[in-house]
Amino acid sequence: MTQNGTVVRLSGVRKTFGAHTAVDDFDLAIEPGTIYGLLGPNGSGKTTTIRMMMGILLPDGGSVELFGGAPDFARRSRVGYLPEERGVYEKMKVLEQLVFFGEIRGVGRSLARTRAEAWLERLGLSEWASKKVQALSKGMQQKVQFISTVLHDPELLILDEPFSGLDPINQDVLEEIVLEEKERGKTILFSTHLMEQAERLCERVCLISRSRKVLDDDLKELKRRERSGVVAVEFDGEAPSAATWPGVSDVEESGDAFHLSLHDGVRPEEILGAVLSEGVSLRRFELLEPRLHEIFVRHAGEPAEDDAPSQTGGGS
Amino acid sequence: MKQVWSVIRREYVERVKTRAFILSTLGMPLLMIGIMAVVGFVAVLSEQSERQIALIDLNGQLGERVQQALDRAGYDVELAAPGTDTEDLDQQVLDEELEAYIVLDDTTASEAVFAYRSKEPPGGVRSQLMRAAIVEEVVDLRLGQLEDGDSVRRLFQGGSLEYEPVGLDEEEAEEAEAERITGMITGIAGGIILYIMMLAYGAQTLQSVLEEKQSRVVELVISSLRPWQLMLGKIVGVGAVGLTQVAIWIGCVALLASLALPTLIAAASDFEELAQFRQYLPGPGAVLLLVVFFLLGYFLYSSLFAAVGAMCRNLQEAGQTQAPLIFLIIIPFMLQMMTFQGNNMQWMNWVALFPFFSPIMMYPRAVMGDVPAWMVAVSIVLMALTVWGSSWVAGRIYKVGILSQGNRPSPRELLRWIREA
Repeated sequence: MTQNGTVVRLSGVRKTFGAHTAVDDFDLAIEPGTIYGLLGPNGSGKTTTIRMMMGILLPDGGSVELFGGAPDFARRSRVGYLPEERGVYEKMKVLEQLVFFGEIRGVGRSLARTRAEAWLERLGLSEWASKKVQALSKGMQQKVQFISTVLHDPELLILDEPFSGLDPINQDVLEEIVLEEKERGKTILFSTHLMEQAERLCERVCLISRSRKVLDDDLKELKRRERSGVVAVEFDGEAPSAATWPGVSDVEESGDAFHLSLHDGVRPEEILGAVLSEGVSLRRFELLEPRLHEIFVRHAGEPAEDDAPSQTGGGS
Repeated sequence: MKQVWSVIRREYVERVKTRAFILSTLGMPLLMIGIMAVVGFVAVLSEQSERQIALIDLNGQLGERVQQALDRAGYDVELAAPGTDTEDLDQQVLDEELEAYIVLDDTTASEAVFAYRSKEPPGGVRSQLMRAAIVEEVVDLRLGQLEDGDSVRRLFQGGSLEYEPVGLDEEEAEEAEAERITGMITGIAGGIILYIMMLAYGAQTLQSVLEEKQSRVVELVISSLRPWQLMLGKIVGVGAVGLTQVAIWIGCVALLASLALPTLIAAASDFEELAQFRQYLPGPGAVLLLVVFFLLGYFLYSSLFAAVGAMCRNLQEAGQTQAPLIFLIIIPFMLQMMTFQGNNMQWMNWVALFPFFSPIMMYPRAVMGDVPAWMVAVSIVLMALTVWGSSWVAGRIYKVGILSQGNRPSPRELLRWIREA
């Protein structure tokens, strides 16, 4: 129940919609104070997984735990949940809507109002406070919804595709807030199909593809392990003839740099030695870290930003 | 509980602010007044005869009486001099000097059949008014010729049940009579209020549930509230809106009445007559009973409407699915209308015990004193049990339904929802 225990734990979770298996044999453990990314293409089962965490869907098999117990009402109220479907009371005024959501999550009316006003100010929506929600653009509505997610100062934020539909400036603002919340000791789980975003924010990622978990690891650890054996080199002046280097299977020119793919078992130091022995002056020698995107494709066998149609009946 | 209160407040405030609420609250009385005014105006307008109407009396007994009667009905009719030739009158009609003329002859004097001669047939209103005026005069004439005409005339007025109190003094008897009238007024008004509340506001509960489900707001709300809390908050909130509307309507009537009161005082010869109005106000017992029937009936139906809303994906589906509920409300209202029109039958008292019919059928019976007290008590107990059962079922359907985006459940699936929720 405390911040010391595992915040979210899924064990062997399975969910089917008719003949379609949306999530299969899924394990997940989120430790407190981390930013956890749930990554995968549309339709891979991210939203279904999140909806099971929130008790909106019941798993057909396996167990879901929040703060060390069943995702009951008391535990769910410690979560700030931003669903993928941006449900709002369209005809309610912005501030009134925020106060209402604060209230039903146990924040006093006046405190909810104060907090809502502060958040609106921060997200540049103050002048919209007394407008009806339906008058706002989609992006603004999304910011309003984000505010209602954090208004009751929850321990855990579960954000389903929080950045989609936002312009880059607002994406940055939201990223900043997410990092801030992490600094304040909050645990954050968010799903995304945008690998770059995940790469910037997450400490730990879980990759889902076709209803199954493919990878679940610390991001730095993952990248270290997944190094592809590609070395980038740049020279001052004339480059040596690349074909003569030992252990290199392929050379690709990328601007001033050469990307050298190494044969299996060839260590980068050997290449460095070979390059230096050519007597050229070296400006850059870097072990290239794989992009998350590449890792994903390598493991899932499908592009990460594949826009597969999301399943009806269960969301993606 | 605090959160339920927030839901109630949101539901109430958001609904009372809508244009639909304001329009229907103000519009309903205005519409009624408007319709009455238009109907009256049109009737008067269509009865403005352009040219003179004449009357010729070939029988010699009816002429003046009919002229006066038609005058009272709003027709300015010129009585033709005795011996006027009908061919002359026909010519005047053809020349458009007269619009029409009425011929009273011996058949008229015996059977109230008369000729209306004109180039144009008379309108519906005109034929009705003229016929009624002339029939009345003929009946009057013929009764006057009878020795016991007065008593036959009273017989035509429908007779009367004269209540003779045994063991009551005059004052008590008057009170009992006042109570009966009060019961009737309260029963009719109460029945109509219950009907409106259950039908209109039950359906609004459905709409409110459906809106939240469609926009998926419910997924957010439900992460902080138990489903039954949300359902209860909705039902109470929407019900409070309905009560506000009814209160405003009653207030309007009271306001109009009090504006009219000075006129009444001026018109009343003695104040005692005026004071009698007061005794027709329903007593606390009748009001309390209305509250009980309202709470049970409204809760019964609105929880089921909420369940229907949770089962459906859109308004069209909901429209079909709610049909049985609508019938359950309309049928007792029809039966009750028959009762109000005086066609009460003993077996209907038993029908009124059916919990889904009780609010509309048992309440008026209770305040009119048509049923024994034990039946009212049994009906309240039955309704309470039904509310308990139906809200249990509705709550379970609601709980599963609001989060289900799939097809409307089949009866079998519905049973599974209820079992497994």
